[in-house]
Amino acid sequence: MTYVLTWVGLMILLALTCASSYFPMGNWNSVVNIGISCAKGLLIAVFFMHLRHAGALLRIVAIAGLLWLGILFGLSWSDFGTRTLSPAPWVAR
Amino acid sequence: MPTTPFDSTLERREADLLGIWAFLVTEVLFFGPLFFGYVHGRLTHPEAFTAGSHHMHVVLGTLNTAILMTSSLTMALGVAAARGGRKSLRTWLVLTALLGLAFLGIKASEYWMESSEVAQASGAELTFYFLYFAMTGLHAVHLTIGIGIVAWLWRHASRYGAAYHSPVEVTGIYWHFVDVVWVFLYPMFYLLQRYSA
Repeated sequence: MTYVLTWVGLMILLALTCASSYFPMGNWNSVVNIGISCAKGLLIAVFFMHLRHAGALLRIVAIAGLLWLGILFGLSWSDFGTRTLSPAPWVAR
Repeated sequence: MPTTPFDSTLERREADLLGIWAFLVTEVLFFGPLFFGYVHGRLTHPEAFTAGSHHMHVVLGTLNTAILMTSSLTMALGVAAARGGRKSLRTWLVLTALLGLAFLGIKASEYWMESSEVAQASGAELTFYFLYFAMTGLHAVHLTIGIGIVAWLWRHASRYGAAYHSPVEVTGIYWHFVDVVWVFLYPMFYLLQRYSA
């Protein structure tokens, strides 16, 4: 029953994210889409992937993946975000 | 009963789950650079990414998202059936694999329709298409592997029951992860400024 409710929640969020992209909200469109994707991911992880019943070890491992992704995004952005890209001569602009 | 390095069934089950979660961490970092490339490309060339997104078939993309999320439901019900030692495990596995195949079929038809549009793209719109094919392609490879494993589970379904069902449970966690990846890909490629399309 929990699974079916999770699925209903996912479908409602899918309808919301799809519908929201037809309303001009500027940068908020992206914020809404990312927020809804995170909510869907969380629903799947907590209920379908059973993190709800998982011990501390599994939860730490799951969060460690996202933490490392964040660290690597930060390090990469400190490089790409502070440079001008110099395209190779053969790349069409 | 074969000898194992574990003291109890519970300890063994925890090791199985830790194994799949550790693997998923490497998967997150495997997909990570492509996500970073997308963020960088979209922030530096927002118009080209929006133009590329307007070539996507939003109805098919939305339908596919619904299909994949439904396959996660059938997979979760399959895991529950295995835990309860119920015969319905086979049915849920078949449904999961069929939904996965339906997703791949729709994706392939999209690729077919988009192939002619890529030929007309230029500049940063090509970056959009590159990321689209690389990310959805990598996702499709993962899904194909998932369907193969589900088919294998179906073949050996009689082995699994209340006492032993780790392979089903671990496959379920992998399947849901592939679903989560798509949950993020869907708005990134299909939903950019739909109101102006």
